[in-house]
Amino acid sequence: MVNEHKPIDNLVFELQERAKELNCLYTIEDSLNRSDISLRQAFHTVINAIPPGWQYSNVCKAKLVYGDIVYQTSDFEETKRVIKSDIVVQEQTVGHIAVYYTSEVPPADVGPFLKEEKKLLDTIAERLGHFILHQKLKNVFNEFQSVRQQVDGHTKGEWRIVLDMIRKTDPNLFMSLLRKTLHLLCWKGVEEAEMLMKHTSLSWRGGTTDEELQYDDNKPLKVSKMVNYDQYVETILKLADDNLPDDIILSRIQKWIQEDKSSALVKVVETQDTSLTDIADAIRRYYHMAPEKFELPPSTIKGLRVSLLRRFFTEQLEYISVAKEYVKLTDFYKLIDKMIFPSGSHGKLGGKSAGLFLSAHILQKVGESVELLSDIKTPKTWYITSDGVLHFMQHNNLEEVLEQKYKEIDEVRIEYPHVVQLFKNSEFPPDIIKGLSVALDDLGDKPLVVRSSSLLEDQMGAAFSGKYKSLFLANQGTKQQRLVALMDAIAEVYASTFSPDPIEYRAERGLLDFHEEMGVMIQEVVGTKVGKYYFPSFAGVAFSNNEFRWSPRIKREDGLVRMVPGLGTRAVDRLSDDYPVLVSPGQPNLKINISPEELRRYSPKKIDVINLETNDFESILINNLLDECSAEYPLFTEIFSVLDGTMIRQPGPLDVFDNSKEFLVTFDGLISKTNFLKRIDVILKTLQEKIKTPVDIEFAYDGKDFYMLQCRPQSFLRESNSDSIPKEVPEEKIVFTAHKFISNGRVPDITHIVYVDPQKYSEISDRNKMLNVGRAISKLNKTLPKRKFILIGPGRWGSRGDIKLGVSVTYSDINNTAILIEVARKKGNYVPDLSFGTHFFQDLVEAGIRYLPLYPDDAGVVFNEKFLNSSQNIFCDLVQEYNYLEDTIRVVDVVSSTRGSILKILMNAEIDEAIGMFAQPSTETSLEKEYKEIVEYHPGDYWRWRMKMAEKIASELDSNRFGVKGIYVFGSTKNAVSGPGSDIDLIVHIEKEKCNIKELSLWFEGWSLALSEMNYLRTGYRSSGLLDIHYVTDEDIKNKSSYASKIGAITDAARPLKFKAKVN
Amino acid sequence: MSSDKAFNPFEMAQTQFDKVAEILNLDEATRQLLRNPLREFHFSIPVRMDDGTTKVFRGFRVQHNDARGPSKGGIRFHPQETVDTVRALSMWMTWKCAVVNIPLGGGKGGVICDPHHLSMKEQEQICRGWVRQMAKNVGPLNDVPAPDVMTNAQHMLWMLDEFEAIHGAKFPGFITGKPVGMGGSLGRAEATGYGVIFTLREALKELGIRPQDTSAAVQGFGNVAQFAIELYNQMGGKVVCVSSWDQNDQCSYTFKRASGVNLQELLKITDKFGGIDKAEAKKLGYEILDGDAWIEQEVDILVPAALENQIREDNVGKISKKVKIIAEGANGPTTPEADKVIQERGIFVIPDFLANAGGVTCSYFEQVQSNMNYYWEKDEVLGKLDVKMTAAFHAVSELSKKRNLYMRDAAYVISVSRVAQACKDRGWV
Repeated sequence: MVNEHKPIDNLVFELQERAKELNCLYTIEDSLNRSDISLRQAFHTVINAIPPGWQYSNVCKAKLVYGDIVYQTSDFEETKRVIKSDIVVQEQTVGHIAVYYTSEVPPADVGPFLKEEKKLLDTIAERLGHFILHQKLKNVFNEFQSVRQQVDGHTKGEWRIVLDMIRKTDPNLFMSLLRKTLHLLCWKGVEEAEMLMKHTSLSWRGGTTDEELQYDDNKPLKVSKMVNYDQYVETILKLADDNLPDDIILSRIQKWIQEDKSSALVKVVETQDTSLTDIADAIRRYYHMAPEKFELPPSTIKGLRVSLLRRFFTEQLEYISVAKEYVKLTDFYKLIDKMIFPSGSHGKLGGKSAGLFLSAHILQKVGESVELLSDIKTPKTWYITSDGVLHFMQHNNLEEVLEQKYKEIDEVRIEYPHVVQLFKNSEFPPDIIKGLSVALDDLGDKPLVVRSSSLLEDQMGAAFSGKYKSLFLANQGTKQQRLVALMDAIAEVYASTFSPDPIEYRAERGLLDFHEEMGVMIQEVVGTKVGKYYFPSFAGVAFSNNEFRWSPRIKREDGLVRMVPGLGTRAVDRLSDDYPVLVSPGQPNLKINISPEELRRYSPKKIDVINLETNDFESILINNLLDECSAEYPLFTEIFSVLDGTMIRQPGPLDVFDNSKEFLVTFDGLISKTNFLKRIDVILKTLQEKIKTPVDIEFAYDGKDFYMLQCRPQSFLRESNSDSIPKEVPEEKIVFTAHKFISNGRVPDITHIVYVDPQKYSEISDRNKMLNVGRAISKLNKTLPKRKFILIGPGRWGSRGDIKLGVSVTYSDINNTAILIEVARKKGNYVPDLSFGTHFFQDLVEAGIRYLPLYPDDAGVVFNEKFLNSSQNIFCDLVQEYNYLEDTIRVVDVVSSTRGSILKILMNAEIDEAIGMFAQPSTETSLEKEYKEIVEYHPGDYWRWRMKMAEKIASELDSNRFGVKGIYVFGSTKNAVSGPGSDIDLIVHIEKEKCNIKELSLWFEGWSLALSEMNYLRTGYRSSGLLDIHYVTDEDIKNKSSYASKIGAITDAARPLKFKAKVN
Repeated sequence: MSSDKAFNPFEMAQTQFDKVAEILNLDEATRQLLRNPLREFHFSIPVRMDDGTTKVFRGFRVQHNDARGPSKGGIRFHPQETVDTVRALSMWMTWKCAVVNIPLGGGKGGVICDPHHLSMKEQEQICRGWVRQMAKNVGPLNDVPAPDVMTNAQHMLWMLDEFEAIHGAKFPGFITGKPVGMGGSLGRAEATGYGVIFTLREALKELGIRPQDTSAAVQGFGNVAQFAIELYNQMGGKVVCVSSWDQNDQCSYTFKRASGVNLQELLKITDKFGGIDKAEAKKLGYEILDGDAWIEQEVDILVPAALENQIREDNVGKISKKVKIIAEGANGPTTPEADKVIQERGIFVIPDFLANAGGVTCSYFEQVQSNMNYYWEKDEVLGKLDVKMTAAFHAVSELSKKRNLYMRDAAYVISVSRVAQACKDRGWV
């Protein structure tokens, strides 16, 4: 027996065994599928194929008994070491097949036999049963043929001969055919048939003759039982004979026989409690018996497809109604071969798999007639069904982890690393390991990505995606090493179900009780090996609708592609330190970045790769990669451009080898020389049309082929949902409306408006004063609450040089605004061009800051200058040093100017409309449910906790000891707008002479670190301290300098906190 | 239609000129001639757009003065270009060429368009259209365009190609800003930064200070600053700190090391935009200070080489008493209010206009080489640059001393007087 201490040997051994078994099965399957083979030949093949499939082949003998005939292998000798399976044809045992060991062998599961061997024998027996039936039917038909030839032209009644034979061989089928014949007769309007259906003495027993009168919608009908079977049959056959032409009956019978073959599958699939194992078996069997060459009626096919979609993917009707048109039964056959599931599984594959499966098949089908869509590939993928995680936990007795989600979030966070370790140190159930091992053989040693495909993702949309892990594996080393690494990764992905972020997210949305299961996709990473790295030439995401348009010439439906060299991870996520390349497939020639400076600034600097030597996923500098192996980079000339002085050009043949050149990622070659964007455009449009909603897809290109990695409705993204624009808003409630170049996007509630008056700005004649407008804006940007204010200004924000056109600012001067608004006022008879944010467009995109152009002079547009100009201007209170700009820059505190309203900006790209209007702060009940879900969740908790802590600090502060006269809280905590990463801003009023700042700072430092740790546990945000302390003196307060101005300020004043009572 | 009070760059340039004309006591005719451009061209450029429609773009070329030689000046692609902006800039080019005493006049041109909303093909059509309209009035012997706002080497090559197609011959001297190997000049990258230090070297000489005894604080770490530091180090000077923009933090930091910064070491930890890696710098022993800290260092020399308006009323007071020279590597780094303070304190200023004229001088060299169709090695370019810059500095400095003018005014006065003289000599006025 294999030593238990050597699991590797054990595994290898088991795998060898499985391979032998499969071989045996294939040999048998192969010979039985030959149409010309006789029973005798078949039986011989079978018994000879058996011994090599068994563990101890040299002492293995097989015997087959069919009726009175016995077949056996040479030198056969009967012993007691035997397993046996009956051969059953139409529920009758017609023989058996037995395997013997002729000499003593070590004991195993079933005597000396493995349990797999017993199962194999059962399968062979079952297959033989089908084969025998098939042969029988064939004989019947042959007989029929000869009879027909004898009758020679007299075809009358030949169908009866067929039915007669069927009656003898397959009574069930015969009954079914009979029933169908009766239906057909009724359908043809044969009165007797109708009578027969419900009325004849043959068909029912008991009851009264007027039972038909008692038919009641709500009452079950009594089952009528047949008494006189033969008479019943005869009647029907006679009726058929009299009323239907022979050829029709015959063709119908043939069709019905075919239909019957799928009935087993239908039955299995339709039954709720059949397991995936049964379904898989049924599909395999069906496939062998009746591959698509049999024409099933469309209704049956559709029914089957729907049932299978429901079992494998989702119950969602929208999904099924589309998918059933594109997914063939054979597709499921291919799918089950790549599925790993526990025995008795009822799991599904999850949202991500469903999306990919559907889109791939749509493109495949449409691709048959559209050349641009042909040859779109999906990476080789294996699936673990969603209940795999439960099975895994049960196997290791980890069920108590399931309760994790009901714990306090900080507890969840503290325990999460342990959960991860626990999972990683747990064993997988043997059937899953076996599946993974087969998967690895199939996938080879290409790098893999293990992605979650959860059921909630499917329910909730992509708001949920990204909350669970996706892990890359280099998949290098021995099979055993690779298997261990794969299991490790899956365990980690499983553990991420219990990570604090998704749990918190679910808690906030009341989804904790949803029974979350997680499917796993094990996908080959698209790419090629370059040096020691592995990565695709490029990858990215593409959207049907472009919500970030940088030119008025780009329409929303022109779409948007975010792409990067290497793995697509850098295109999927918003980056804080790098930029993807943005292109609109409908307008490929309109680029965001034109000048060499812009291109340099915004072209991607890093690339995500898999390092095959260290087995790690890495982000490395593209330049370093190119230094090593620019010549090997697939599609180098399509992706990179050379920056030659101030000239950007596509690389020449020798540039690749010239490391002294500066290369920039531009995708210029790809855009201008290939049909790639056209392809993306067609893909997006096709999927949008078929799925009936805008989509976003993930893709990768390995240098040769285009791969789809993911597809989902774009509406899943928060930012691409249209707001509904309310009608009939009273004009005094409107600040502005817009009807041009509208994008979708969520804008939070606005409390402050910063308005640079276009007229006043154009009247400034001093360039320096104009520059100061920009500086004042910068100051406001740092003073006003982040993402709670908007900037409205003339012309082009971010103008350089000719700053008459717009306020001269850089991105850092405006990076806290919620939305950037440009106003185009008519000048004489022309309307100036707006910038569309191009001066820092990609920064806006990555930060999610929206852009909106306003054209106040257009017909039907509201622009409430009266409100903007007549509301109290608090500009001077905020930035005293620029008070001479008071006429030009107006800052309106919306809440105080409107007595409690906020400004709500709603944008709807579908109808190209936007409105900025006064409204009650969110959580208003009149808002649609959908909207409520989108609003920042529970911001209350963040600030409330911070406020409590601030109060706590103040109450603990010994004012005498430190010489402190007052302590104030301001900023996000005071304004109740704190986020999970916000700090607590405090102003400490000290007595200059008495205060020992060093000691006091130390005291605060302690608090700061402790609070930071607590905050981390609560939110997962790390910081080097949570307190932001500003010391002010009497003098500062008198001068209202720096933070002292916040004390007693007109707007946004700091709030005093209570001290510890003075001791003396 | 902008309002009367609106900021008008041309009027501003004229006012500035009037001030200098007053100092020079120019006669009325010369003032009239120099207050306005000699020639202006306004024209339409119809372009067939990618979608099949036709759009008409407005183009300009203003030749302010060519008394000293062919006009020279960039072509701007700007969405709200006005002829007044172009006029002002062309006048500025006249003075700029004159201050370094190169035999060129001033011009400027542009097209009202936003390249962000145009495809490359459409931009090419605009470039070629511009040349077709101007072909008879530009050329190596009368007006030489160059890249400017939103135009680059690519646009220049399209224009050159169209020009040569029309004239049926090769004229590489028609345009500057071409890539090396396509008629461009070597030394372009170094020119501005080196130019700043050539003038600084001369200033130190005049003040009787040995460069090796000096220290400097540099604002910025881009192209200009890097080459300026390189040459200054070669002269033996010590740069105590540089400031650079941090893309992640969206603010700038000053990197200080009292023993002097090491350029090569810093370049290794610098990204393409001159951003220095803070953590790495710390490891190398640099102190990381606030972005404004460069201005308050105890050094002899300040080199603002980043953006405009960096020395302002609010921070000019922080300049250390030790500072003797400010060499303006950037354009307009000092606001007028701060300039007054600096003038009062008697700090020696090498005005931007003069200090960063290395760029335009190198353009001139490109044109010269192109006309000869013979290209110099880099050393030769930089050597000739040194000669030009040194001579220019001394002329300005001498005038400043002779007439007791602030350096900034002296630079202006000398260029206007040179142009006025050329007009007189030609008998125009």
